[in-house]
Amino acid sequence: MINTILIFPIIACILTLLIKNKTFNTWLVNIYAVLHFVITMMFVTGHANNKAIPYFAVDNTNLIFLAVLSIVFLAVAVYNTGYVKNMEFPAKKISHYSFMILIFVLSMTGTLLSTDLGIAWVLVEATTLSSAYLIYFNKTKNSIEAAWKYVFICSIGIALAFVGIILLNISSGSLNSLNFAELYSHAASFDKGWLTIAFIFMLFGFGAKMGLAPIHFWLPDAHSEAPSPISALLSAALLNSAFLVIVRVYKIMQIADCTDYARLMLLVMGFLSLFVTAVFVYHIKNYKRMLAYSSIENMGILAIGTALGGVAFYAVILHLIGHSLAKASFFLTSGNVLELFDSKRIKSVSGLVSADGKSGWLWITSFLAICAFPTSVLFISEFLMIKQMITEHHYILCTLFVLLLTIILFGIGRVVVKMAFGNVSEDKAKVIEENRHKVSCWMYIPQFVMLLIVFVLGIYVPPFLNNIINLAVRGF
Amino acid sequence: MVNGFVILFGLTMLYLAATSRIVAHIRLLIAQGILLFLICCSGMEHLNLLNFAFLAVETLIVKAIVIPWFLYRVLKKTHSNRDVAANIPHFYCLVIASIILIAGFLVSNYYVSSMKLISPIFFGVSAATIIISLWLITIKHKIISNVIEFITMENGIFLLSLSVAKEMPMLVNLGVLLDVFIAVYILGLFVNEINKEFKDLEVSHLSELKDYE
Repeated sequence: MINTILIFPIIACILTLLIKNKTFNTWLVNIYAVLHFVITMMFVTGHANNKAIPYFAVDNTNLIFLAVLSIVFLAVAVYNTGYVKNMEFPAKKISHYSFMILIFVLSMTGTLLSTDLGIAWVLVEATTLSSAYLIYFNKTKNSIEAAWKYVFICSIGIALAFVGIILLNISSGSLNSLNFAELYSHAASFDKGWLTIAFIFMLFGFGAKMGLAPIHFWLPDAHSEAPSPISALLSAALLNSAFLVIVRVYKIMQIADCTDYARLMLLVMGFLSLFVTAVFVYHIKNYKRMLAYSSIENMGILAIGTALGGVAFYAVILHLIGHSLAKASFFLTSGNVLELFDSKRIKSVSGLVSADGKSGWLWITSFLAICAFPTSVLFISEFLMIKQMITEHHYILCTLFVLLLTIILFGIGRVVVKMAFGNVSEDKAKVIEENRHKVSCWMYIPQFVMLLIVFVLGIYVPPFLNNIINLAVRGF
Repeated sequence: MVNGFVILFGLTMLYLAATSRIVAHIRLLIAQGILLFLICCSGMEHLNLLNFAFLAVETLIVKAIVIPWFLYRVLKKTHSNRDVAANIPHFYCLVIASIILIAGFLVSNYYVSSMKLISPIFFGVSAATIIISLWLITIKHKIISNVIEFITMENGIFLLSLSVAKEMPMLVNLGVLLDVFIAVYILGLFVNEINKEFKDLEVSHLSELKDYE
């Protein structure tokens, strides 16, 4: 089963290189998405044959991450079918695009499934390299700047994470392995000083990839310059896979009983992420950058939740599910807006609801989902985190948390309302009429389904999902 | 003997800090590759043949031949010879780099020497190399210099991994090598594209994307 999920994309990649046909290549991505989804659902429902292969396995912790990746990838693939039709590039370029999407998803899946820290490192770096082409896909001055910053900052970050792995190797004494299970079983005897330094390096390295402040600089550039389906994948899937590695390393710290420092670091970086978003969200001229900053904020919330512990672990998993689905839907809808209005500037977009009702309401609903409006599942997760802060008597942190979230909510809400309502200017109305045919029904359905899941999960978490979340919480 | 090579490796970083011709920097990468190969050869008697062959390919072929050759081609295509307008004069660069190197030696001698697993000179030099490279990245003005310093940082990390008397799994080593190689390749391609797009390799051109206007 794991073999299939990892080997199919390699075969598909070879096919995309051999047969350069736009429709065929796009459908190859769709077939992989469906296959990925079916196999993941078999794992989720317990019908899959979970035979571990060397270095890769499905365990309690990564199952929920895999499920989220699978749903997001399926939605993006469906959207992509409509999106690629509008691309006016030669078939060769489209085949490269499909090739890179396959490699990108393969390396993310590999990162999630890897049972070895070294392999996880290699695959995280592979995600950087494969998505660089996708960010540079439009070949403009801005996109090359974004791609350059992305590759350079993330490569340096990941290189520092490797320093962390070497230091972990020093702290582990006579143990000569990077397998997570072995690290966990020997963690109690690790040298604490070296382990703490190793954790700092790894937190900064993988944190750069996850988009935590103060090493988030690549994120708004890359997310805003990439094609919209890729932005959705970057934000809803890539950041999670880096987070999973941090979670696993944090578990080593917990077993080795030196969490004090690790918790402090996570809290500082989490709150810094919220603060950076709260400051920048008021000066943004580009709506895709605004969504990217919102991703930084949500990654900050995940870091804070991890640091709090207890019931907050449950909240972190819920938040991760909710954020991925809502943000993917938000980015995909922003793709519709970009197709219609042909501009990324907030100033040039107004009256979205009257221009295209479906996109307009998807835009507003995505905003409600991401800003934790009940019954969005994010409401439950943020509520649980606040509850955890109060029961642990962190009143100042709690106040700061709520205050920063409110500021960000207002900043994003202002822009969303401005774009959704009002009148369409006359020259824009012409542009919209010309572009209306570009937005096909494929480009509405995935967002609708994902938002439905987000709002339903806020009222009812099915027992099988609750079971998986509880298993994942024990893996923290 | 090994220690001599390691110290020479540290001194190459001083040369990097004090010169401005990019061709000289690329030659220095060749020297670093060869030094790393010699360090592998003389320090690792217990290595088996497969591991040794792998390390030889990594240091001698990739680090000392393929990457410098590739960068040399990029350099010829982009016609950039010097990185003259560094923010800090070369003399001060040299002084600061020397201070970092000496600090590396001192810290590792005081704190690391108590550990049995790692050798202090390796540790000090590699830590100093990583820090000097990161610092040089922040002060250089040409994109291609940034790529060169990225590679010296990777060399420093490689030296650090040699300082631990334990071996990583072969698959991890292979993956790391492949990733670094592809990263350099992609960065090199981007250098070409940036040169085409902006007619120049100045870092300051890459500041269009921002939130404050």
